Amino acid sequence: MEEEKQDIQFSIEARELTKMYVNFTAVDELDLRIERGEIYGLLGPNGAGKTTTIKMLCGLLKPTSGEARLLDRTLPDRGVASMLGYMPQDTAIYPGITVHQNIQFFGQVFGLGKNEIAERERELLEFIDLEKWRDVVVAKLSGGMMHRVSLACSLIHRPPLLFLDEPTVGVDPELRASFWEYFEELEREGTTILITTHYMDEASHCDRVGFMRDGRLIAEGRPGEILEMSGTTSLEDAFLTYSRRSSER
Amino acid sequence: MRVPRFLAVTRRIFMDLKNDKRTLALMFIAPIFAMFVFGLAFSGEVKNLRTEVVNLDRGPTDTVTPTFSLSGMIFGNIDKSVLKLESSSSVDAAKAKVENGDAYAVIVFPEGLTKNVLAAKQGKPISENTTVQLYIDQSNVNVANAVVKTVNEALLKTADQAGMKLPVTVDTVAIYGKNARFIDFFVPGIMAFVVFMLTTLLTLVSFVGERTSGTLLRMLATPLRERDIVLGYASAFSVVGILQSAILLLVGILAFHIIIVGNVLFAFVVIALLAVVSQALGILLSSFAKRESQVIQFLPFVLLPTFLLAGIFWPLEAIPSWLRPFSYLVPPTYAVDACRSVMLRGWGLGRIWIDIVALMGFAVAFLALATESLRVRKG
Repeated sequence: MEEEKQDIQFSIEARELTKMYVNFTAVDELDLRIERGEIYGLLGPNGAGKTTTIKMLCGLLKPTSGEARLLDRTLPDRGVASMLGYMPQDTAIYPGITVHQNIQFFGQVFGLGKNEIAERERELLEFIDLEKWRDVVVAKLSGGMMHRVSLACSLIHRPPLLFLDEPTVGVDPELRASFWEYFEELEREGTTILITTHYMDEASHCDRVGFMRDGRLIAEGRPGEILEMSGTTSLEDAFLTYSRRSSER
Repeated sequence: MRVPRFLAVTRRIFMDLKNDKRTLALMFIAPIFAMFVFGLAFSGEVKNLRTEVVNLDRGPTDTVTPTFSLSGMIFGNIDKSVLKLESSSSVDAAKAKVENGDAYAVIVFPEGLTKNVLAAKQGKPISENTTVQLYIDQSNVNVANAVVKTVNEALLKTADQAGMKLPVTVDTVAIYGKNARFIDFFVPGIMAFVVFMLTTLLTLVSFVGERTSGTLLRMLATPLRERDIVLGYASAFSVVGILQSAILLLVGILAFHIIIVGNVLFAFVVIALLAVVSQALGILLSSFAKRESQVIQFLPFVLLPTFLLAGIFWPLEAIPSWLRPFSYLVPPTYAVDACRSVMLRGWGLGRIWIDIVALMGFAVAFLALATESLRVRKG
């Protein structure tokens, strides 16, 4: 074990992470290990516990039991917040102020200096292709543009670890493709990304995927491995196969 | 038979209502609640006004403890439920009490009142003093009116008993609030209340927005702490509160020529504190609203009672004594009192410190609760 830890650095390590509510268990003894610099896709239907998992990892929800380590720090650890990028499911930016003001706000929240914010903002606006919209009030943007601004806001501080909660829901196919280009570019820069989605076809972009159902991980592996193990040709069929197997058990 | 289309709309509205228990409660409980609050808090009768009596009248024969005196009769006819009378030995000591805010008025029965009136009755010219002197804190218009009215009623009743017209006059001197009109009394009160109401509502609406849009969660996933968010809101709204009250005052001065005898800056300190308290209340209340539209539900249950209890129209003395403890539980009560004291009495920090300490207490408690309410979500 010790040797392995030195060889492979994990950005995220969760052990028996559990979130119980009065009536049900949202996340059930989840074990998760995500290597530094990989894109890990958490796949599953609505209500599988994906968002709850991300919220626990971001420190937004207290786990009922279990343990989580992010970037070698055991949660809860306030210090880790400055190294996380979190793009919530909701667009979660301020509609009444401009694109620039939103980006600036999050830059200041992460304690960046004025010049740093300005420089980073230029890069990000180019990255999300919204340079012309910098001084437009967010409420006037289209849904897809807002999503891109939201992504920029979670990248302002160059986080080494990025949580993306269904970043592509309600996003048109063209934009989805360009989002994945962004994510792969970030990966090349060394960012670890945990992404949730219920679009199975997107999972092929991930280094590894985990299928989640009823709060548990029912299968995990490289997309190719998963297809092989399940004997199916699409991840969608693979998920259904695993899903059936787990409910039979 | 097909249902008329409009009935489909009607039916849908009823189904919506049926499923929204809170709106349903609002529609039926709120009016009843409002009726009770108005009915109970607003009898409009001012009661228990602390009043100092200085009796220099020594009866018909100038004895130290006369067995009969006109002042004694008048004293006996004063409605004690309105004026809570206390005897004072000197005019200066009694006036000092009014100046300090420990009493609202002083009634002085002049030396030789009985003797002079009896002399007048026997047809002699009124050579000596027969004037009952009142010193009143007129910064509170309702209080001033109640004092004058009660004393005059006592005089009439006494005249009735004596079966004669009394050659007694009443002279009033204002200790505070000389020539104060209702508007002068009303502006400081409404200024504090407007800041309370708008700050609470604005914070409520924007914080419900933070919760529903996900920006609150997003902020909490950054190095921002719960207390940073609360302090950020507090700073913003205390500035907004000061601006609001400054504009209100300016219009009050220009349009109504309101009286301001004190240093307005002290009133701004009070308003800023009240704004801090109000925004914290807004954040607290926001955890009970799922949508922006539910903010309306707080109007009848939170803002209306506060409006009535804070002494904006009526002095606290007009609120029934069993209800008055609730007045001391709503923060604007202290701000209204402090703003009025500064603007109409010219008081400084040395005399409004109790109000400021109370508001600070509310601020600390509400800020702590608001911070905690953000943390609770992590459960």
